[in-house]
Amino acid sequence: MNVSTNNNSKCPPALTALENVYDPEIGLNVVDLGLIYALDFNEEEHRITCTMTLTTQFCPMGESITDGVKQSLQSAFPDYSAEVNLTFDPAWSYERISEAGRDYLNR
Amino acid sequence: MFISPGNTSAASIKTTSHKVVIPFYLYASFTFLAATILLFTSGSAFFNHYFHPHLLALTHLMALGWGTMIILGASHQLVPVLTEGKLYSEKLAYASFILAATGIPLLVYGFYVFDMGEPAKWGGRLVVLAILSYLINLGVSISKSKGENIHALFVFTAALWLFLTAFLGLALVYNFTLPVLPKDSLHYLPLHAHAGIIGWFLLLVIGIASRLIPMFLISKYANVRLLWWIYYLINAALICYVLVFYFYNQAAVLFIPGTALFAAIALFIYYCYKALRQRIRKQVDEQMKISLLSVLMILLPVVSVLVIIALLVMEPEEKTSLVISYGFLIFFGWITALILGMTFKTLPFIVWNKIYHQRSGTGRILNPKDLFSPVIFKAMSITYISGFALFVPGILIAQKMLLNSGAILLIITAILYNWNVIKIINHKLSPA
Repeated sequence: MNVSTNNNSKCPPALTALENVYDPEIGLNVVDLGLIYALDFNEEEHRITCTMTLTTQFCPMGESITDGVKQSLQSAFPDYSAEVNLTFDPAWSYERISEAGRDYLNR
Repeated sequence: MFISPGNTSAASIKTTSHKVVIPFYLYASFTFLAATILLFTSGSAFFNHYFHPHLLALTHLMALGWGTMIILGASHQLVPVLTEGKLYSEKLAYASFILAATGIPLLVYGFYVFDMGEPAKWGGRLVVLAILSYLINLGVSISKSKGENIHALFVFTAALWLFLTAFLGLALVYNFTLPVLPKDSLHYLPLHAHAGIIGWFLLLVIGIASRLIPMFLISKYANVRLLWWIYYLINAALICYVLVFYFYNQAAVLFIPGTALFAAIALFIYYCYKALRQRIRKQVDEQMKISLLSVLMILLPVVSVLVIIALLVMEPEEKTSLVISYGFLIFFGWITALILGMTFKTLPFIVWNKIYHQRSGTGRILNPKDLFSPVIFKAMSITYISGFALFVPGILIAQKMLLNSGAILLIITAILYNWNVIKIINHKLSPA
């Protein structure tokens, strides 16, 4: 798992919150799937920007997953607004899945 | 490091409302049950010519009411996924449903009683209008999408072939009472049938399956170049068939489009095999197993049509039992197997999105696969494969007992299918 951030103290609780967002087809959370690329905390504007991807650019559940990411960040950090910056560059790859995620998929 | 979403943002992929899509699924489910009952009651028709009224009624019930309706429903849902945009008009989608839902029973009734009068003509007109609405909706949605997309091209070309098939079909209905074509309707039947089977079903299924199968298997495999080859081969085979039909209608020449078609299907099977091999998730669920089985089941009608052509070359007398089994292998084999599997990959998502979308991110919630019963699905798969396996030899050796047993098992399959479909549609919010 490789998530870049500008705030090392707030990033872990944010990732814990994001572990509640699941890809409904795969049944794995977005953190273990490696969909989260970066978490940026703007302290002046009290805004969190999550840069993330999807397993496929045409994921029919994309909207549901990105809405879930926003909701979970907002409930973990009620004083902040949350936004998602969706990107496919670089595209998601198998290598981004965490060890726990691989164990789950190999069951 | 990361490029901002810009025009590649999946946030711009807007799912089509479930209200548009679910009526297509429900209609198709009930039609499947009706078709299996008709299969049972019309058993003796399978020992006659394929132009038998009951067989014509059954074929159109399966092709339009079952296959086309569910594919129209799924494709309205998948347009945003395929075009990376949104469906142009939900009103046109509703219009398409209402026109087809009204037209299909009228047309089927006309065939069943073999009266090509006003009910059949109105049925045909309404079906053509339904397809035209779909074609316009699809065409505008694609024209508004960004970039080149092979899957959308497959679907749009398939819709064009469907329109041509339906238009020719309407002309054939008229031709019974008013000679609008130079020869009788029976003469054009193979052209009408193959434009529909290859142009509509095969192109569309490959266009959608080539995106959905790797997506559901969570596979790393992608090969757009191979898909282009498949696209050209299928269209070339079909155009070649039309030319042979008009200019040199000799059985031996039919091997040319037949071979091109066989090559296209072999490449598609290879594509699915590679997607399966390069999957990330080890486990393949039951719905995907049935869907993958349907990919192999395409081979059955292809081999059967090659045998029919070979026999025609040796002896010009048509083997009607082989031709009838060819139709059965397509509609109750390949297309039905695909729908039985894919319904339970797509419909649960549609309903899940309606109920659980707002709950995403609030912890463990039910997954789409939890919306139907796996036990009913398993039972449905067993009765389907057994029913299919009994019915085909029943046609070939003209054995009524096999036909009846096969038909009963297929009725049970349809009941189990409907049971699970209704269970999904009626699903209410519940904890994981």
